[in-house]
Amino acid sequence: MGVENQSPDEWKVGVGAYIALIFAVLFFSGLFMKVDGMEWLGALDFTTLSGKFGTLQDGKSTFVGNGGVSAKAGFLFALSLVPTVMLALGMLEIFSHYGAIRAAHKLLTPLLRPLLGIPGLTGLAMITDLQSTDAGAALTKELYDEKQITKKELVIMSAWQYSGAGMINNYFAIGSAVFSTLTVPVLVPLLLVFVFKFIGAIGARFVLNSAYKKDFINE
Amino acid sequence: MSSPTTPTTNNPFDIFVIGARKGFNMAINNLMPNVLMAYVIAEILNVTGAMKAIGTLFAPAMAIFGLPGEAVTVLISTWLSCSAGVGMALSLFTKGVLTGTHVSILMPALFLMASQIQYMGRLLGVADVPKKYWPLLMVISILNSCLAMLIMRFVV
Repeated sequence: MGVENQSPDEWKVGVGAYIALIFAVLFFSGLFMKVDGMEWLGALDFTTLSGKFGTLQDGKSTFVGNGGVSAKAGFLFALSLVPTVMLALGMLEIFSHYGAIRAAHKLLTPLLRPLLGIPGLTGLAMITDLQSTDAGAALTKELYDEKQITKKELVIMSAWQYSGAGMINNYFAIGSAVFSTLTVPVLVPLLLVFVFKFIGAIGARFVLNSAYKKDFINE
Repeated sequence: MSSPTTPTTNNPFDIFVIGARKGFNMAINNLMPNVLMAYVIAEILNVTGAMKAIGTLFAPAMAIFGLPGEAVTVLISTWLSCSAGVGMALSLFTKGVLTGTHVSILMPALFLMASQIQYMGRLLGVADVPKKYWPLLMVISILNSCLAMLIMRFVV
């Protein structure tokens, strides 16, 4: 989305953006998978739309087959993951286009000051980190260079970003490969990662305010 | 992760295709080599019997999270590279060492301590975090992962 180049005005969040966010959450939630009597809801469900491969003649294994080992097995298996990753990133692109990320940004910003003790203006760098570790890090550095945040705030921000960095992109681009093996709805582990980003950063804030208190005496 | 580009179109079908193309590149250039590598490493560990030793050695520690000892290889891999971690999880899953429940328990940890070595440079280095605090942030990530796995153990 090239967020670095956008003025704050372009980050206005309309109703549509919230709808996009809600759709994004529902789509990956698994709530619409195999609802009895309402199978059509599957059209809004990631796992349903991921589909499945047909089987070979024995009726059990897909083209990946059974009993493969090492590089050859890994190659075929990785090949079988391609459609899931393509679907996940295709849908993510749509949800982002209609403002799901902007809506998430709007919802996240008010939490930053009370939970982490960092100013709301860091929200953009934080939400960017969810999509791209590198872009998030660059924005964070910029905030510090412009003296918008102190050294301590920089460390707290980095603690939040470092654990589970690039969460959304990594989860859907790489993690989607194991979605089909999960026994919990796809969004549950993701939600946990998000919550623990805050728990970890709150921990960092606590340590900086106690053990490293002397470092920040001038701030 | 490459930063997303602005689609020049408003047509949702085109936008989907842009994303799906990113997904294809991602799967072919990133996931596939990493999965292949993880499969080969897993096979090396198997052939040499190291996997069995690791499994026995770490069984007590991993039992805390409701996981078999071999699962520690997934955690070590993801610490180096998220894709390698996912690849390792897949490899152990297809071998029947890990079940879907095990993968679910590992899932949050796969990302909470993902690619820490790479991100030292790409995140902490770029953002100019003083090196003094790097160990603190690393310990936090690992603690996050352990706590998340404990929670997952009771969710699954």
